Amino acid sequence: MTRQVSYSSWRVSRTLYGVTFVLLYLLVPAVAAAVLDVPTPYVPSTQSNVDEMLRLAAVRPNDVVYDLGSGDGRVVISAARDWGARGVGIELDAKLVAESRELARRDGVVDRVSFREGDVLKASIGDATVVTMYLLTPLVNRLEPRLLAELKPGTRIVAHDYGFAEWKPDRHVHVSKNFYLYVVPARVAGKWQVTVSLPTASREYELELAQRFQEIKGGARVTGGYLPAFDARLVGERIEFVLVDDHLSYRFEGRVSTHAIEGVVRWGHGPRQQESTWRATRLTAVTEG
Amino acid sequence: MQREEHYPHAPAVSRRRFLGGAIAVGAATAVPLIAHSQFFDVPFVPTPQVVVDEMLRLAGVGPGDVVYDLGSGDGRIVITAARKFGARAAVGVELDDHLIYQSEESARQANLGERVKFVQQDFFKADFSQATVITLYLLPAVMRRLRERMLRLKPGTRLVAHDFDFEDWKPDRRTTIRKNVFLWIVPASVGGQWQVRAAVPGSEFAFGLELRQKYQELDGFARIEGQPGGLWEANIEGDRVRFVVVDSRDRDNEATLYFEGRVSGGAMEGEGTRGVGNQQVRFKWLATRVGDLPTKAGGRK
Repeated sequence: MTRQVSYSSWRVSRTLYGVTFVLLYLLVPAVAAAVLDVPTPYVPSTQSNVDEMLRLAAVRPNDVVYDLGSGDGRVVISAARDWGARGVGIELDAKLVAESRELARRDGVVDRVSFREGDVLKASIGDATVVTMYLLTPLVNRLEPRLLAELKPGTRIVAHDYGFAEWKPDRHVHVSKNFYLYVVPARVAGKWQVTVSLPTASREYELELAQRFQEIKGGARVTGGYLPAFDARLVGERIEFVLVDDHLSYRFEGRVSTHAIEGVVRWGHGPRQQESTWRATRLTAVTEG
Repeated sequence: MQREEHYPHAPAVSRRRFLGGAIAVGAATAVPLIAHSQFFDVPFVPTPQVVVDEMLRLAGVGPGDVVYDLGSGDGRIVITAARKFGARAAVGVELDDHLIYQSEESARQANLGERVKFVQQDFFKADFSQATVITLYLLPAVMRRLRERMLRLKPGTRLVAHDFDFEDWKPDRRTTIRKNVFLWIVPASVGGQWQVRAAVPGSEFAFGLELRQKYQELDGFARIEGQPGGLWEANIEGDRVRFVVVDSRDRDNEATLYFEGRVSGGAMEGEGTRGVGNQQVRFKWLATRVGDLPTKAGGRK
């Protein structure tokens, strides 16, 4: 695993920026891009750091683990060797890529790992189910929109030391180092038509949700009123919220696909708990924010 | 359920105020304290039924539980706990005899028999040590006075409240269903010096552990062969303790040890894991308390 940008080069670019502000104003994007793409000091994670990342991501044998800036390949190799997953490493440095392949051979996992020489900002990563990274903040933040756009909802991202600026982690673990877990959220912002099938009839709600990363809020319009959605949560493609209607809490749980949400709604407690299925179809999409 | 402002030495004059709605709650905070403190033992603000349900759901009340409601008002929490959630027993403690009478009448109508009981008593004097769940809707000053006593209850006792919390004792869980509802789990006391023996297959070893406790949050450090090492992700929920120790005796082969166990007085024991994935090894561990924390607070963190 590699840090791709050194602090010192970043600081230099910021100092220059301050000194000749006007001149550099136009040049900064080019300079920054050049700086950010330089593969600088390679700081390997210790084995216990690697273990903690894969543990936090709860890697399973059917996972495809991408390590962005894979260095000597230790995360990718561990994912295959210790967790039975498949792994892909993306690394700029050709020597480290060659070393990774050699180490994978030594550990007997060549059939389950691959290493690609390339830029993490350009590599195709769409089939990942887990992404790990140990990159400096500027690069992490440049990656954020790509990860959100290209990864499937439910994909777990684990960042070592440097997390995203805006996107809050779903979990944070501190074992020697800081590790942040992010679960790529489904897109749920917009209006949905909800139908709940009850034993005798069915009930209709118009659900409206606003979304910022995994944080969601909103409510349901019903004949004669508005019911705020309480304790609304989104983890990957799993959504839950509570509507209070007729002095009862209806606890909705569901799975989001591109155009529909399907799940179970429960109300009542203990032996009197009842449940039914619900389904929502998308009415309109609203832009995020 | 009611919010209760409590004046044990006030004259035995009891008056009730029925306040409806959330706005009145704010007003009630100041009014009884300042203007009417000699007379208002009990501003009674009933909790909406959905919030009652949420409190008992969050506490996970079931057939094994004994629920105490401190300041039980018209008895709705006690009755809901027994009727909807099947609590083994539910007890309401309430000063106002009119409310006690009303509660008993409701319980009779619900046909709950011996499973519910209402006690006319000052809950500062009541014995609720048998409770597995305690529900509260009390003003901040009363919550503050009860906090120390709550912390001495049996570890694992669940406390649920709404609107008002225990200030720097952070809730273990929190939900918002119309109101903010808080759950605390009374933590066992684990602060001090411990000697831990970890029976890791092939490399059994012992180490010292220093735990500092603030409610359910723990921090401290481990001392392995004289070397201070980090203690991570340490916390306690009831009598269940969890912490992570990084064994870096072998610099090139650091091992992370995950400990989980139960505390009982001066002993802890449980199961741990070393390593991850298919490299994971399970082991038994036990610990004994060997002393208190050094009185000088100049330790490391």
